Amino acid sequence: MSSMPEILFAKPSLPSSGALAVLVAEDALEAAFADLDAATGGMVSRAAAAASFKGRKGQSCTILAPSGLGLSRIVLVGLGKAEELTPLAVEEAGGTAAAALLQDEEAAIDARAASAGAVGKAGPARAAFGAVLRCYRFDKYRTKEKPEDKPKLKRITVLADDPAAARASWPSAKAVAEGVFLARDLVSEPANVLTPAEMAERCRALEGLGLAVEVFGPKEMRKLGFGALLGVAQGSANEPRMVVLQWHGATAAGKAGGKGGRKGAKAAKAAKPLAFLGKGVTFDTGGISIKPAAGMEDMKWDMAGAAAVIGLMAALAGRKAKVDAVGLVGLVENMPSGTAQRPGDVVTTASGQTVEVLNTDAEGRLVLADVMWYCRKRFDPALMIDLATLTGAIIIALGHEHAGLFANDDALAQAITAAGKATGETVWRMPLGEAYDRMLKSDIADMKNIGGRPGGSITAAQFLQRFVDGCPWAHLDIAGTAWSTKDKPTVPKGATAFGVRLLDAFVAEHHEAAKA
Amino acid sequence: MIAVRFRRRMPDKGARALLAGPGAVPDATPPGFTGAAEETSSWHDASGRRLICAGLGRVPSARMVREAAGRAVSLAHGESRLAIDARALPPALAAEAAVGAVLRAWRFSGAPPPREDDPEPPPPLLRRIDIVVTGKREARAVWDALRPGVEGTLFARELVTEPANRLTPRRFARRLRALERHGVTVEVLGRKALREAGFGALLAVARGSAEPPCVVVLRWKGRLEVPPVAFVGKGITFDTGGVCLKPAERMWEMRADMAGAAACAGAMLALALRQSPAPAVAVLGLAENMIGAEAQRPSDVVRTVDGTTVEVVDTDAEGRLVLADCLAWTLRRFAPRAVIDLATLTGSIVVALGHHRAGLFATDAALAAQIAAAGEAVDEPVWPMPMGGGYTQALESPIADLRNCSPERRQPDACHAATFLKHFVGDAKWAHLDIAGVEAREEDEPLGPRGATGFGARLLDRLVSLRFETEEV
Repeated sequence: MSSMPEILFAKPSLPSSGALAVLVAEDALEAAFADLDAATGGMVSRAAAAASFKGRKGQSCTILAPSGLGLSRIVLVGLGKAEELTPLAVEEAGGTAAAALLQDEEAAIDARAASAGAVGKAGPARAAFGAVLRCYRFDKYRTKEKPEDKPKLKRITVLADDPAAARASWPSAKAVAEGVFLARDLVSEPANVLTPAEMAERCRALEGLGLAVEVFGPKEMRKLGFGALLGVAQGSANEPRMVVLQWHGATAAGKAGGKGGRKGAKAAKAAKPLAFLGKGVTFDTGGISIKPAAGMEDMKWDMAGAAAVIGLMAALAGRKAKVDAVGLVGLVENMPSGTAQRPGDVVTTASGQTVEVLNTDAEGRLVLADVMWYCRKRFDPALMIDLATLTGAIIIALGHEHAGLFANDDALAQAITAAGKATGETVWRMPLGEAYDRMLKSDIADMKNIGGRPGGSITAAQFLQRFVDGCPWAHLDIAGTAWSTKDKPTVPKGATAFGVRLLDAFVAEHHEAAKA
Repeated sequence: MIAVRFRRRMPDKGARALLAGPGAVPDATPPGFTGAAEETSSWHDASGRRLICAGLGRVPSARMVREAAGRAVSLAHGESRLAIDARALPPALAAEAAVGAVLRAWRFSGAPPPREDDPEPPPPLLRRIDIVVTGKREARAVWDALRPGVEGTLFARELVTEPANRLTPRRFARRLRALERHGVTVEVLGRKALREAGFGALLAVARGSAEPPCVVVLRWKGRLEVPPVAFVGKGITFDTGGVCLKPAERMWEMRADMAGAAACAGAMLALALRQSPAPAVAVLGLAENMIGAEAQRPSDVVRTVDGTTVEVVDTDAEGRLVLADCLAWTLRRFAPRAVIDLATLTGSIVVALGHHRAGLFATDAALAAQIAAAGEAVDEPVWPMPMGGGYTQALESPIADLRNCSPERRQPDACHAATFLKHFVGDAKWAHLDIAGVEAREEDEPLGPRGATGFGARLLDRLVSLRFETEEV
C-alpha cells in the first residue's frame, strides 16, 4: 500500500535543495519567475521560452540542475488563465507537478498563483490535494523492485502567501485523500487476497475513525431473506458478507460535547441519514454464464462500487463531516461450481419480489437489490445513491469519460452532476422509463435479471429501481470509470476510486450543516 | 393514405370503436372494462358487428389518445371500415385519434397483391376510418395541421421498407422526384458532379458497389426571407459493411440503413403539404456499401469536401464518411440557419439507449432543447448524449487529420461518430440524431405495425413549426 507524502505549508522562499515546482498562470510568467530569474540570471524565463511554455492548462516543462541554485530540478506547470481558474484546475496542476517530482525526497510547490480568481485561499491546499492523489502507487507485491526504481518523494512543502489558512484547511482535504487511497488499495488488491471476509475485516479497521461497523454473514443474511445476494454467492467457497458503516456526524455535532460514533445512533432518529450503497463482487467470473477468458483479470475490480462507498465513509469520518450517513456494501464472489446458481433459477429477494436469473453474469443487480431493500427498510434514508461496476453496456454508451447516472429525482441528479464537474469525476445522465422497465418482464417470476443487449445499462437501472420503494435515488454505473489505463493528472494508471471525491463534494455542498 | 373523415354521428356500417376514460364508460361496454390507459376490449354484438373499446386513462394526453386509437385499429384487423367514437374528448384532442389510427393502419404498398386463386384469401385491409367527434370543424382544422407530418412519416416508411434491390441510390432519387408535384425542387448530383465538388469520402464508400451513388438535394422555398434550415440524411441503401463485412445474422436489416435520408425526405414532404413558411433544404447522401474488387480497404485515406483527410480504419463506419461530405457541402452551399442530420449511425447507440429513444448530439443548447421537445410531442423521443472533449482523442490518426472510428473493442462509438461529424460543422448550429435502433419496430405497437417507423419525419416537421417559422431564431 502506498504511503502519502507529508505535506507542509510555508511562506514563499526559494528552497536551497530538493526539487521545486512552480504553478504558473497563463500570461503571468514574468512575475512568477522573478525570484528564480534573479537567482539564475534569467535562465528560467529563457528555458520556458525555449520550451514554448506559456502557462497553459496541462502544459509543463522541467529544467534539470539549474545553475546558481542547489535544486535538482525546476518544474513549471501551467494553470491556464488566472480569471478562469477553478479548484479542479489547481488540483490537476498539483498532480502534474507531483508526477515530475517523484525522484526527489524533498520537494516544494510554489502555489502562490493557485489562489487566483474564484479559488482564493483554498488554492494551496487544493494543489497539495492534487499532488498527493497523484503520488498513489500500489506496489506491495513488487518484492524485487530496486530502491532506485521506486518513487522517493517523502515531503512536499507548499509555498503560499497565507500558509496558516492552507494549513487549517488541509486536514479535511487529507482525510478525503486517505479515503481515495483506501478505495484504490481495495480495488487494486487481487481477489485471492481480498475475499468478501477480508474486505469486511478492512471495514472493521475503520472503527478507529469513529464509524460504527456491522458485519453480516450468510446466516444473518439468510434470516433477512437475502435470496438474491446469497444466490450469487452460493457458487463460491468464499462466504459473502454485508457491511453496514454508520457515521453520525450531524447528530454528534448537535449534542453538546457529544461523542459521535455509534453512541449517536438513537438520537439520529430525528434526521434521516444519507445512504450510499456499493456493489462488491470481489471477483466476477460471470458464474455459470462464464465470461470469456480475455480480460477476465479486470474482474477483480468488480467491487469498485463498494470500495468507493468504504472510501467515502472513511473520508466523511476522517474529516468529521457534519452529516449522518450510512454506507452499505454487499460483498460476494461470483464463481461457477457444482453449487453455483444456474441460468433459469428463480430467487426471492429480501423485498419478496422474485427474480428469474437468466444470466448469472448479471449478478451485481441481484446483490444490490437485497442490500438496497434492507437499507430502505432499516434506515428510511433521505436519499440513496448506489455505485456499481454494473454493465459493459455503459462503456459502449459513454466510454471512460463519464459514469452513467440514473436517477428518479431531477434535483438529486443535478446536484450529483454538478459535484462531478467540480471534482473531475464526471457523470452523464441516462434515461429511465416505463418502456425500458417492460423489458424485464419474466414469464415465470416478477422480473428477469437481464433486459437484453439494447439499452443494457438502462434495464439494469430499471431493475434496481424496483427495490428503491419511492426513495429519492441515484445509481452510478462506474464500469467505465473505475479503472484507468492511462495516467491522468490526479489519477495514476490503475484504480481511480471514482465516486469518493464526487460524493464527498456532493455531501459537503448539499448536506452538511453550516461548517464551523 | 387511408381516408379519414370526421363525423358527428356514428355510421351504420362497419366496425365501431369507443375511446373512453374511467369516468365516461357507458353501459354498452363489456363488463370489466374500466377505461384505464392501455386497456382494450373487443367483441361482436348480436348482429355480428365488431365492437372495440380502448381505454384513455384518467387524464388523456394527446399521446394516449393516439395510442388508444392505434390499439383500436389493431383490433379492427380484417375490417374494411372502422368508426372511432371520440366524443368523450374535446374536438382538438379527438383529432389526435386520426393520427394514431392512420399511423397504425399503414401497410406497405409494395406488398404483392393476393393471388386470385388463393383458397384462403387474406382478410381485407382497412380502407376507411371515421372519427366521430362533437366539433367537426375544429377537429378537422387540427387534423389538417397534423396530417402532413403523418403523410411524411408514411412516405419515409415506404422507402425504408423497400428492399435494396428495388431501392438503389438511383431508384431512391427517382422516387424522390415525386416530391416535385408538391412544390419541392429536386436536384440530383451524380458521380461526376460529386467528384468535381470533392465528395471523396462518399465516393470511396460507393466504390465497392455496381450501383452509382448520388446526392439528392430537396428544396422547399417557403415564404420567409431567411437562410434555410437544413436536414442531412444518411442514405446507405444497403450496408454490407464493405471489406469489414458484417456478420450474416440479421444482415437483411441493413436495407433500412437509409432511414435517416427517408425521414428527411418525409419531413420535406410534410413541410410542402402544409405550405410551411420556413425555407428548408434536405441533402441526402445515397450510396451502397458493398464488398468488391473496387471497394475501399481499411487503412485507405480519403479526402472530404472541406479538404480534411480521413483514415478509414473500418469500412463499416461508412455513414459518417457520407455525412461528413454532405454536412460540409451543405454548410458551404446554403449557409443554413441550422443543420440537423439523421442517421442510423451506430450499433453503440442501440446498446446505450435501446429501441425507445434516439441519441441526440448537439452544439447548440436551444436547438437541442427544441428537438427534445418536438420529439416528446410526436412520440419520437430523444436523449442527449455527450461528444467532443475526451472522445476526440479516439479519432486521432497517425497519418491523417482524423480516423473514422476507434479500432478498439467495446468503444462508445456513438459518441465517437458524433465527435467525428462535429469536425465538419465548424461553428454552425448543428444537431445529430443517431436513429439506429428506432428506425424499425420488432413487433406491432400502438403507433405502427412491425417494421419501419419513419422516425424523424414528424419530429423535424414539428421542430420547424416550433423554431423556424419566424424570422428570428
